[in-house]
Amino acid sequence: MKYGLFLGCNVPAVRPDVERAIRLTMPRLGADLVDLEGSACCPAFGSFPSMDETASLAISAWNFSIAEETGVDLITECGSCYSSLRIARSKLLESEEKRERVNKLLEPTGKKFRGTVKVRHLIDVLFNDIGPEKIRESIKYPLENINAIVQYPCHTLFPSEIVGFDSPSGRPHMFRELVEALGASVQTYSRELQCCGGAGGFVKGSFADASEFAFKKLRAVKKETDAEFIVASCITCLQHLDRMQDELNKKNNDNAYSLPVFDYNQILAVCMGFQPKEVASISTISRDEFIRRITKVIVS
Amino acid sequence: MIDLTKTNTRLWQEITDNCGDIRKCFNCNTCVAGCPAAEGNPPLLIRNLVRKVLFGLEDELLDDETPWLCVTCSACEEMCPMGVHPFEICLEIRRWQSKNDETYIPAATAEIFETGHTQAVGQVQEKRKAVGLEAVPPTIIKFPELLKKFQEMLRNTDIVRENDYMFRS
Repeated sequence: MKYGLFLGCNVPAVRPDVERAIRLTMPRLGADLVDLEGSACCPAFGSFPSMDETASLAISAWNFSIAEETGVDLITECGSCYSSLRIARSKLLESEEKRERVNKLLEPTGKKFRGTVKVRHLIDVLFNDIGPEKIRESIKYPLENINAIVQYPCHTLFPSEIVGFDSPSGRPHMFRELVEALGASVQTYSRELQCCGGAGGFVKGSFADASEFAFKKLRAVKKETDAEFIVASCITCLQHLDRMQDELNKKNNDNAYSLPVFDYNQILAVCMGFQPKEVASISTISRDEFIRRITKVIVS
Repeated sequence: MIDLTKTNTRLWQEITDNCGDIRKCFNCNTCVAGCPAAEGNPPLLIRNLVRKVLFGLEDELLDDETPWLCVTCSACEEMCPMGVHPFEICLEIRRWQSKNDETYIPAATAEIFETGHTQAVGQVQEKRKAVGLEAVPPTIIKFPELLKKFQEMLRNTDIVRENDYMFRS
């Protein structure tokens, strides 16, 4: 199994420990990663897709052509990259006119969109290509007697006919089973499928209300579950649920919200025995004590 | 009272791309019910935006910043019972606004033109090395000759041509 790792912007710049975790864990499971040399922003919905559709599709096509030259499907962690690329691909395949316009723009660069490769999310590949059983066998430190909640990335659910892989998209289960494969118990709660609210312009444009939206979710987690950590598989969910706990603590002037938040490949990497200082070192809410509890290793 | 003799009744024909047939929207509120940004202040109410488009209320639509609150989760796309595409409407209104008022064009667009990214991917070398990664990731930031081609490609697009002062390499 070989995949082209699409990095996007946030993972390599803001949370490179997630990139490190992906690069270490996937080959261990038999999924070899190749670099998509010269790939750019997906592009983010708030940029070119909000200005000029042709320019936006040309950027996506630029990224696709790199994977096509290498002959691999793209794989990505970031929900926004996943959705932006999936939607772009679907538009390009649906409309010959758009395809021609975009290829005319690409032509002087020596690139071409052919539509021969797909975009996959890590959860999809981990569940459908690798499988929970193989993951279970790969771990050194199981998360026994530990309760988790999972944050399903909204961009992998809707619109299901373009981005969906779980069945049905409105009642996803694959991510939960991947976390259970690590030995943890996954608890459900009323706002489980509520999106984190961290993507797009909500936080920037209406900070207090966007924060309150996330607080509702965090309060529900606290009230309805015994979760000891949160697992995400999208850079925005990861950063936002981490940051919003800190905001809620500031608001309440206490420290009541301190659930460590991990990207799936990060907690997988820790369970496999990789160095926490490489695979899970950047966060607002400290993850050190939690990691120590799993691995019995002191994190410095 | 809206004087419909003074509105642009053809506005809906400008805001169509990927949107489905927005004339089928009957204001049922499904797109709003599951929308995170509907909890904003002011709230993003896509059904109201559709009314502004259908009634041709250009000035109101141009001044309405709520499409930019969208979190892009696309739950509305899944739920609309009329086959209309509320998320695409949001993007299409943003495009219409950007075309009619360049101050809507966000800085991220120029950043992507300049560096290929929305983040300072090439300027976090110590942070990357500390977790055992290459100092510069193998993206466009590592290949200046590719970035140049990327910029040349974008120079041929309407958005960059019409607002060239914003896009510098």
